[in-house]
Amino acid sequence: MSTKRVLCKFFMHGACLKGEYCEFSHDWKDQANNVCTFYQKGACSYGSRCRYDHVKVSRNPKVLPPPQSSSTSRPASTSLQLLGSGHPPHMGNQIDSSNQRHQISVDVLAHSSSKPAWRNDLRHENVLEDGIDWSSNRSLQNQTSLKPADIPICSFAAAGNCPYGDGCPQMHGDLCTTCGKMCLHPYRPDEREEHTKLCEKNHKRLESLKRSQEIECSVCLDRVLSKPTAAERKFGLLSECDHPFCIACIRNWRSNSPASGMDVNSALRACPICRRLSYYVIPSVLWYFSKEEKDEIIESYKSKLKSIDCKYFDFGTGSCPFGTSCFYRHAYRDGRLEEVVLRHLDADDGSVVIAKNIRLSDFLSRMHL
Amino acid sequence: MQASRARLFKEYKEVQREKSADPDIQLICDDSNIFKWTALVKGPSETPYEGGVFQLAFSIPEQYPLLPPQVRFLTKIFHPNVHFKTGEICLDILKNAWSPAWTLQSVCRAIIALMAHPEPDSPLNCDSGNLLRSGDIKGYQSMARMYTRLAAVPKKG
Repeated sequence: MSTKRVLCKFFMHGACLKGEYCEFSHDWKDQANNVCTFYQKGACSYGSRCRYDHVKVSRNPKVLPPPQSSSTSRPASTSLQLLGSGHPPHMGNQIDSSNQRHQISVDVLAHSSSKPAWRNDLRHENVLEDGIDWSSNRSLQNQTSLKPADIPICSFAAAGNCPYGDGCPQMHGDLCTTCGKMCLHPYRPDEREEHTKLCEKNHKRLESLKRSQEIECSVCLDRVLSKPTAAERKFGLLSECDHPFCIACIRNWRSNSPASGMDVNSALRACPICRRLSYYVIPSVLWYFSKEEKDEIIESYKSKLKSIDCKYFDFGTGSCPFGTSCFYRHAYRDGRLEEVVLRHLDADDGSVVIAKNIRLSDFLSRMHL
Repeated sequence: MQASRARLFKEYKEVQREKSADPDIQLICDDSNIFKWTALVKGPSETPYEGGVFQLAFSIPEQYPLLPPQVRFLTKIFHPNVHFKTGEICLDILKNAWSPAWTLQSVCRAIIALMAHPEPDSPLNCDSGNLLRSGDIKGYQSMARMYTRLAAVPKKG
């Protein structure tokens, strides 16, 4: 068919950029092609609510449909015409006469020969009060070609509240006990499991966040999660004890210069409350309430750091003062990880110390040659 | 600066709220300067300081609570760890063993504990320290009680 005789969709909205070069017609007298492409493939999820026409386009435009089909060209409009209420609103911007539709060689299939999809559209009497016809969706479900796992569940119920309740024609998911929403698809076990897992994780996190709200920092005496900026609303966990602090407070305290007279090991690196020595601080948005939770936080923090290249090691060109205890990644440019051989030196008093890397360059630089 | 002010304000509110929680300590904030406080502490019982009320002056650094407050006795006291003239206190938690988790209230409590348990081995008041170190407990107690009577006991009438 000649596209020139089909009204341009963009022109209709006053937004065609092609102007006179457009392959579609810019003449209002011509008929717009308002055919739903999904319907052509057999399944449009909008059903009779679709703004496009649910008519079957013939592959061979020369074959004219049998005359009686014109009266049932659009089942929705037909039934409404029978009720004497004119045309459905979404047909407003096109020519209503079904005869004219043939001019754009749309072959309307009225008889129920091939697919039941448009056959079921005829049951238009169960239009709900707001004009949404769910029956077509049910008809989709009834199609034998669809497996139960392919049918989507009611999205309203999955979001928490379906206005149609038990009368909803769409399939409602099973209730997730954690989030209280009907969002578990009865025929998709993988999805169910994934949702349950995620939901439980979220729920746990939320609970723990709720409990964390009460926790006060012993340095600034504020509730950590009530601080004004997001960066401040973080806990600083000490590895060796369970006293809560803001990340900023504990880091400020630990980075306090020893020149202020404080002992590094007995005061600065110790917990301000119990004075137990901790060598590192772990930032966390959540406070923990069990040892397992704490271990989990520490593990995830360490694994995150392990994925970042150490700036001191610098792909092997630098040297990291933290050596094997460094939390960051010590890898060379080719991705090879640093292999560390510890050198044990026996001291005079019988104790063993671990020697740092001994470099000739260090020795030479000390000689001031 | 802002952090120390906020923290001191918190402590101030806490002091107002629990005024009667510790009858031995009375903390008063300067009306115009939150970095200046005074405290009145009662001498602990069964010590030569019993019956006395000692005034302490707090001067709080801007980096508080990362740095300890400076505390000295305004009331004269005969104690091995308190300088007899300046009132300076030798106490580890006010120097190298400070912790930001300490509050002004807990510093007062530590000073009361120090009054009850003097450390003669790091004396600021050598006379007092020597009396204790030589085992002259009675001499130390007499001197301490005398100064308490003279300087710290409120005059009657």
